[in-house]
Amino acid sequence: MKEFFSHHSAHILPSYIHASDCCCVFRGQCGGSTMTCPRCLLQLQTLGLLGRSAARCVGLLRTPSSGQPSEPQVLRHFHPSPGSAKSRSVPAEFDRESHKKRNKSLITHDDLFEQVAQEAKTKAMFNKVVDIFTKRDIRRRGHVEFIYAALRKMPEFGVERDLTVYNKLLDVFPKEVFVPRNFIQRMFNHYPRQQECAVQLLEQMENYGIMPNMTTKVLLVQIFGEKSHPMRKYQRIMYWFPKFKHINPFPIPQKLPEDPVDLARFCLNRIANDLDAKVTVYQMACTEVTESGEEVTLPYIVGIQSPSQMELLTKHNPSRPVFVEGPFPLWLRKKCVYYYILRADPPLPNEKVEEPYDPERCLDYPLQLDFDLGRDLGDDESFDVEDLDEGPVFAICMTNQGDEATLNQWISGLQQSNPVLGQVPTLFRLDAGPQELDMLADIKSCHNHRPESELLKEDWLPEEEPEVMGDEELRRSQRMK
Amino acid sequence: MSLQKITRLSSLRLLSSIPHQQLLLPSIGPLTASSRAVIQGEYRRPGQPKEDKFPWQKIKLDFRKGLEGMKKHFTLLKTEFTDRWVGPEGKPLIEHMLEQNRVLWEFRGPESLEQWTVSSDREIGGQSEVYLKLGKNNRTCFLYGTLNSTPPRDGETRYSGYCTMRSKQPLASFDRKIHYDWSSFNTLHLRVRGDGRPWMINIAAETFFSHQKDDIYNYFLFTRGGPYWQDIKIPFSKFFLTHRGRIQDDQHPLWLDKINTIGFTLGDKADGPFQLEIDFIGVCKDYAHTEEFAYETYKRNP
Repeated sequence: MKEFFSHHSAHILPSYIHASDCCCVFRGQCGGSTMTCPRCLLQLQTLGLLGRSAARCVGLLRTPSSGQPSEPQVLRHFHPSPGSAKSRSVPAEFDRESHKKRNKSLITHDDLFEQVAQEAKTKAMFNKVVDIFTKRDIRRRGHVEFIYAALRKMPEFGVERDLTVYNKLLDVFPKEVFVPRNFIQRMFNHYPRQQECAVQLLEQMENYGIMPNMTTKVLLVQIFGEKSHPMRKYQRIMYWFPKFKHINPFPIPQKLPEDPVDLARFCLNRIANDLDAKVTVYQMACTEVTESGEEVTLPYIVGIQSPSQMELLTKHNPSRPVFVEGPFPLWLRKKCVYYYILRADPPLPNEKVEEPYDPERCLDYPLQLDFDLGRDLGDDESFDVEDLDEGPVFAICMTNQGDEATLNQWISGLQQSNPVLGQVPTLFRLDAGPQELDMLADIKSCHNHRPESELLKEDWLPEEEPEVMGDEELRRSQRMK
Repeated sequence: MSLQKITRLSSLRLLSSIPHQQLLLPSIGPLTASSRAVIQGEYRRPGQPKEDKFPWQKIKLDFRKGLEGMKKHFTLLKTEFTDRWVGPEGKPLIEHMLEQNRVLWEFRGPESLEQWTVSSDREIGGQSEVYLKLGKNNRTCFLYGTLNSTPPRDGETRYSGYCTMRSKQPLASFDRKIHYDWSSFNTLHLRVRGDGRPWMINIAAETFFSHQKDDIYNYFLFTRGGPYWQDIKIPFSKFFLTHRGRIQDDQHPLWLDKINTIGFTLGDKADGPFQLEIDFIGVCKDYAHTEEFAYETYKRNP
């Protein structure tokens, strides 16, 4: 019996004991039994059945409410004890402030955060504010407002994706008080404002894509009970989040590479979707000092080309031009990068040559199979749509400076592996680059009150804009080599 | 009531469960319990006065409109009659029976865009923009715009930032509803070219009770980005049920015999320009796919 109680006393002692301790206790057993255990503990105590350790623990629990005479009253006062309030580790000036604040009845809790924010907006400071609030008052008066204020301030402090902070905020709720104790309370919303607040907190977690953990569950059970709305919300998150965790077929790593060249390499591999394709770094970003003493920053150029694309390029009719087009956006979660492509127009219908199939190209692996696969009438699985021929794409590149000179360098780099490019005229069809787009966005935000559609469409869309560079034709032969 | 609603997960937000999806900060005010009725009409922005008109006052009688309507509806009626002679759904019987796949929407000219409507969070006071036009050689549909997830400053709306394209409800003569019947298929097939953003596909089916009219089945559409077209096959068994953006506890498989609309939604909280090019949307039968429903249908949360 003694062992049983000493084992449980870890989480009977309420919330400021770190929930991670009790979490291991919780995992094995049904949550309901844990909640009832303080009560049965008290009952046992009245029966005089308790061993010494349990008595000590109950004594500790009862310290706040030593004035309360009757036993059932004690139950209501399980929420965090002032035992911690005596040993404050909070700096004195905050303490004084909080004393001052207490005199005013209608204070907003934003103030507390703003005072701290003047110093530094860090996780430590945020935690400190929460600590101050927790230790200010036994009854945690105004904790709902405080939590709402804290949720609003979280992004400012940069802790909006931190699970421990959310758990700490949940910890602000007094424990055991909001747990319904009879069927009528269970039937109706028991303490609806508090439940809404906790649901709001969980919703913000959901919004930032953070999965709650066992600590959150323990806290929710302690605060609101087994079948409360926040608990439901928790269960729903835990049901749906893991289902969709890995459904993205084109996953993006947690942290994108810092180095732009690495990032470009990753992006190119992603969009090229070809294991044979080879990434080439044509130029690294660097600063050079020219003879006249000016500093010239060279942009990085990273390109990708696969062997099949090279083959296509060799077959390209040299009398028809190839185009460098771009920039096209590519989104990697919140980051937008731009890429440029080298492509040609689709071949004219009379130019199309049906490639004779060469059976000896690969002897190991038959390239063509003529089987009657036992197909029945109408077993045609191809869609009845006209094929969209947009012309082949020969290569893709990314650079941080999308002007013509840079892209020229890319082409000349490509020329080393594709000598055909020397004879093919190259046309630059460049739209407004990202920088210009940003500028346009700025302009647009200035004229925000303009009537929408046509105007915005005009200055927005790359395709409709008069092309910045124009369709200047640059004969490769005229340029270099 | 409201509590039960808000504890449901928002389906678009489920995207954020995909690990490390970085999401923008919505400004969160204290929760205001919404007092919207179960059956409701158009979305009314907070603070906007109710329209003080009787329903018959909204009817506009116009001779020209009447003539156009007559012409349109009687043509539709005529095709309805003649189609019966050809076979079910206007196709010969043999074709109807042996059909393995069907192209539902393809974009060939400006009239094909009339089957679609676009909307953005502008109607709730947001600042996103979305436009629809034909692609470069008038063979595709090009959806573009900017996403802006700043919530409107009306004190109630907490989240914003979505752009949507939705097909129109097909109507027979005299504005009777008709539905798509895809019950002989099990997979949705799309050919798209995106810019790396995740989208959501919404399918609305016909429902029996009026309170279910906002029930929508959703799934995600991930685009790769880049200059190449991407063929995407999504089995219908993967679609999960949501009601007004909240994912439901009791899930049901999508019934394919009465499909009303299909839509594409973007709401990934990354502010900036977006584009999605669609070549065609079709349905096909995938014999390798035997799953009936991807989610548990037993009663959860008793």
